[in-house]
Amino acid sequence: MRQPVARFFIRVGALAAKEATHIRRDPRVLYLALGMPVVMLLLFGFGVSFDIDRIPLAVVDRDQSEASRRLVADFVASGDFVQGASLASEAEIEPLLRRGGAAAALVIPKGLSRDLARGEDVPVQVVFDGSDGMSTTQALARADAIAQAATMRIRREGGLSAAPPLRVSAWTRFNPTGRSAIYLVPGLMAYVLAMVSVLLTALTVAREWERGSMEQLFATPVGRLEIVVGKLLPYLGLGCLQVLLVLAMGAWVFDVPMRGSLFLLGVVAVLFMLGMLGQGLLVSVVTRNQMVATQGAMMSSMLPSMLLSGFLFPIENMPLPLRTVSAAIPARYFVHALRGILLKGNGIAEIWPDLLALSGFAALVVVVSTVRFQRRLA
Amino acid sequence: MEPALQARELVRSFGAVQALRGLSFAVHPGELFGLVGPDAAGKTTAIRTLAGLLLPGSGQARVLGRDPVREGAAVRESLGLMPQQYSLYGDLSIEENLRFFGRLFCLPRAVFRERSERLLHITRLSPFTKRRADALSGGMYKKLALACALLHQPRVLILDEPTNGVDPVSRRELWALLYEFVGDGMAVLVSTPYMDEAERCHRVGLIHGGRLIAEGVPGDLVRSFDHEVYRVEGGDRSACDAALAALPEVVAASPAGARLRVVVRPGAGGRVADAMAAAGASLHPADADFEDLFLARMAEEAVA
Repeated sequence: MRQPVARFFIRVGALAAKEATHIRRDPRVLYLALGMPVVMLLLFGFGVSFDIDRIPLAVVDRDQSEASRRLVADFVASGDFVQGASLASEAEIEPLLRRGGAAAALVIPKGLSRDLARGEDVPVQVVFDGSDGMSTTQALARADAIAQAATMRIRREGGLSAAPPLRVSAWTRFNPTGRSAIYLVPGLMAYVLAMVSVLLTALTVAREWERGSMEQLFATPVGRLEIVVGKLLPYLGLGCLQVLLVLAMGAWVFDVPMRGSLFLLGVVAVLFMLGMLGQGLLVSVVTRNQMVATQGAMMSSMLPSMLLSGFLFPIENMPLPLRTVSAAIPARYFVHALRGILLKGNGIAEIWPDLLALSGFAALVVVVSTVRFQRRLA
Repeated sequence: MEPALQARELVRSFGAVQALRGLSFAVHPGELFGLVGPDAAGKTTAIRTLAGLLLPGSGQARVLGRDPVREGAAVRESLGLMPQQYSLYGDLSIEENLRFFGRLFCLPRAVFRERSERLLHITRLSPFTKRRADALSGGMYKKLALACALLHQPRVLILDEPTNGVDPVSRRELWALLYEFVGDGMAVLVSTPYMDEAERCHRVGLIHGGRLIAEGVPGDLVRSFDHEVYRVEGGDRSACDAALAALPEVVAASPAGARLRVVVRPGAGGRVADAMAAAGASLHPADADFEDLFLARMAEEAVA
């Protein structure tokens, strides 16, 4: 008789190898695991973008000078705005916006070049169509950035070295060009990984119930924890591939930077995947049926990781009950840690609470699924 | 001698359905015990309870004297189970299925190789080891399932309807295999809905409505069956049916080919013959078989 620990690993190894064979033999699992994240990342990354470019910009140029034309050119050169109608007065702006003839208007006051020459601040006004709040926020950030760049240029050209007080107060850190992909993609990764991982394991245990193999399995000395671990391992491997794929796509396609430690990112990702795979296992253990398990998996992973993770909507803006619920959503911690590591270069000192929360969730679901995994057929 | 398998007054319900109603029987080492009964008699529930896959509502199941649920780990080391439904992995080959179960039982490599070769040889599956389980015929699949259940050389083997969906030749093969194992001292419990297979067992229990309605050595049971069995020949079929239904002496009447076969209370043959003559038919004595016994016992249970 071999030692109990050795037997544990032999059985876990047998189950993991068997599961890996299932995956190899059923390419649909591979498509789901590796194809779906790519497709979803592309769809969401390009489709659900709050980025707006080519905003039609009407111009009220009351200065009609070299300087004012340069300023308009700055706006257009950014690619964010295209020059639209030239208006004679501010009064014409509102009717134009109402008609949809423009989404923004740039108002350059008389005396721009004179004031600039004197080194005085000039109040340049940009009027936005505020009916689309999300787009306006973005467009405002762009206008800010452009105006600021223009101010710098003008000052540089004017030879003024003394820095006058900045008039523009909004300053988007970490995302200076206001591109939404940079902060969307980390959230998107969490969402995509959550959904696919929960779905993968949710199907595997339910399949054993449906195909009848659970009866044979339960007639052998294999333990519940051995089944749970044996099922988790191969999908964790697949999950790591997913993470790498999604990260690579984020970097290449969406230019998401990688400012922190890749190793730390790996640790966070493995913990998150463990939690999600465990959640799928729990769904599967409870439902015992592939159809129900699929729906349970989607509902329990998709909505929370999309709506309550801070991926789309900032958690600080949520009403208290939702904020409380979101504290139990692992995707929230993953999104937070991911954004921290990718965009800010955060290290363990900043993200340890996230690591702790993710480990806790992973341990909880694995324990609960093992306990709920009844060795009974009815 | 302590029984290898024991069911004591097992009771189990699923919702409003009472699957087991006080089922008791025992199987001894070196014995081939048949649990014979129609569909929905409670065979699978009984087997699953004995294998520790279901909790009994009341009563006890024992495998080698142990509780299959509370002492599950020990019981599973010495118990082989072949479920009725397809329970292997269809996308794995014969070889891969065997290796998987061998590793679950933690067999050392050399032991596994020796046993699986022997099992593949006696089940005559050796030429097909690369074939996937779901590409196997019914008989081959059952033999593979049997091989998987025997890898750890259990002292107790339970088979749930192993011959269901298997052609007659493979069926004979399976029974021959079972005799071989029993000869080595294994205790084997096999369930079947086929009455003609009862004679192949050392002892049988006829199960109906969740309990045994007869138990014993097949030959003894048939020999001690005191009812009279007749073939009804000639006459109008529906007239005969009506006449037989009206006679309380007729315990069971069943179609046998174009004719009817009747089981009659002891000594009541004359009265039945008269009634049949009135319907234009004649009675001819026949040898009682298991089906007659079963039908008669079932009818008596229904009355009681």
